[in-house]
Amino acid sequence: MIYFYDGSKEAFLTAFCTAFPDADAVLTSGSSQLGIGQEAVFIKADPARAKRAERRLLSFDPDCMRDLTTILRSGNPVKDMIAFRYLRLIALKKRPVRGMLADDAVIDAVECMRRVSFEIHRFHGFLRFMESASGALYAPISPDNDICDLLVPHFKERLPKYPFVIHDVGRKKAAVYDGCAVFMAPLERAEVLLSADEVGWQKLWKTYYAAVNIPSRERLKQQKGYLPVRYWKFMPEMQ
Amino acid sequence: MPWYTVTMISAETLQILTESAKYDVSCSSSGSARRNEGGMGNGYFAGCCHSFTPDGRCISLLKILMSNDCIFGCKYCMSRCDADVPRATATPEEICELTISLYKRNCIEGLFLSSAVHKTPNYAMEQLLLTVKKLRTEYGFHGYIHVKGIPYADEGLVLEAAKYADRMSFNMELPSEQSLKLLAPQKSKKSLLTPMRNLQSARDTFRAEKRKGYFLPAGQTTQLIVGASPEADGQILRLTQSLYRAMQLKRVYYSSYIPVVHDSLLPERPAGELREHRLYQADWLLRFYGFSAEEIVEEDGNLSMELDPKCAWALRNMHLFPVEVNRAPLEVLLRVPGIGSRSAYKITEARKYTSLTFEDLKKMRVVLKRARHFITASGKFYGAAENAIRGLLMAGEASETGVQLSLFGTEAAHSALTGQL
Repeated sequence: MIYFYDGSKEAFLTAFCTAFPDADAVLTSGSSQLGIGQEAVFIKADPARAKRAERRLLSFDPDCMRDLTTILRSGNPVKDMIAFRYLRLIALKKRPVRGMLADDAVIDAVECMRRVSFEIHRFHGFLRFMESASGALYAPISPDNDICDLLVPHFKERLPKYPFVIHDVGRKKAAVYDGCAVFMAPLERAEVLLSADEVGWQKLWKTYYAAVNIPSRERLKQQKGYLPVRYWKFMPEMQ
Repeated sequence: MPWYTVTMISAETLQILTESAKYDVSCSSSGSARRNEGGMGNGYFAGCCHSFTPDGRCISLLKILMSNDCIFGCKYCMSRCDADVPRATATPEEICELTISLYKRNCIEGLFLSSAVHKTPNYAMEQLLLTVKKLRTEYGFHGYIHVKGIPYADEGLVLEAAKYADRMSFNMELPSEQSLKLLAPQKSKKSLLTPMRNLQSARDTFRAEKRKGYFLPAGQTTQLIVGASPEADGQILRLTQSLYRAMQLKRVYYSSYIPVVHDSLLPERPAGELREHRLYQADWLLRFYGFSAEEIVEEDGNLSMELDPKCAWALRNMHLFPVEVNRAPLEVLLRVPGIGSRSAYKITEARKYTSLTFEDLKKMRVVLKRARHFITASGKFYGAAENAIRGLLMAGEASETGVQLSLFGTEAAHSALTGQL
């Protein structure tokens, strides 16, 4: 049986309850090809059932909901199955399982979470702000995982006096810090009027980038390993 | 035109001062958890890379000289006083504005400020101090700052700079007094070690008295040029070990020598980056794997080019192997060739739940190419006969370093020397 749900945590937990006894269950929040003879249901969120499941799972592992929300942020197309098999194991073992690093379900879950947190770390470095005429900062990004709001605390701590917008261009939404509060907003496209000095500083940054390189020691493979090409698009020095 | 005036450094000055700073190997921004106190920026304890250049190196800090106008004549250095190169000097305001403007755009994690010995050691150190003090107090900058120490500058200036910096470093460059005398005649071992020791004891006092604020939270580092002078790897690693133990340095960096200047005192050939690579591997064994320099190589010996230092050690100590992965303590696992700290951690976690087999290890992505000769998993051994292991390891290594060597690109020597103190 294939269980479709809308990708939310609540609907996931509802689907989790329904699918739990089914050994061949396939959970998905994306599009999935139906195989011959396969049946499908769409599971709607049932808040009461989800709450019960959450409480029960938390009694086995107090940190498992943090793991679940991390996995559900992943851009991996089979993230729903990874989360399902991981939580199922917790429910069967009735205790935390994240140390079972030789178990397939745990290997996949740990790897999936590692990729999400690693991408957050990467964007702490690779994100680039541009300064608008009003002084607010704007950063377009296109991450693999749904992390744009998780980047905010880091930058708010560093630049508390500067309002900023972090725009997930692919998911068409933005995390906004207005100088005191943080909120999420849908955002299709943004027009940014740059500050008078912005182009000048970007030029200096590019000058620095070119000058600090040692051309006789070219190692492009290594460069692309550390800074994959898909992240180059919004970095001025890579244009 | 903007309605306010910004001190923007000229592209030309920036280029000259960056090109003269870029051969310093250090770039790390780790080790400081400095908090933002009402201004801009904070420390990122794990360190953070912001970009990568085509040479594969990371950009974490704005690495720049205050001035490349030097009165010293160190033979190996591109900024030495008798070299015919363009000279430039930046003002403290130019450096401060550039730092905060790039920081605000999240291009950098902070500043790595160094200088040639401009006019006098004290003058150069004063300029560095003035700049970082301004950055912290007037610009309210709390991001990462690494300041280079100038040999022969007054102790008071150096200690004052340490109040504002996250990390300081005096580059030893040459691993012995004789080599310094020969190649950097104005420097002496004492002019480098004394300020390092003073900083260390001031830092100890600061910590012991639990004073408010910061004093070099990320400690000190240094850099050694390898291959410009005749010291053996064993001697270099013993120096490194004593710097870690007695001086409590956070890092020793190695920079393989590439000839820029023809001088009868300097070798004609570059040292090769494989040697540098081996020294870093050995350095890691010292810092994270519980090895001592004496175990790795004898004092007048060099590291093997064919084998990494852990493999070489294991082959000399075959009586200790194989070890059973389900029982060996962490510090023993860390000594198995091919098992790094991440794999060792995974093994110690996973074996709490099940008896690990070779299949399990493969699934857990523990690299077994080298390790299989030195471990058993649930009693099974998949390694080669003892007399064949060395050959297999060397063949494997040759195919790897073959790739590395071409990556290292040994084309005509660029002016690849550390243009710094």
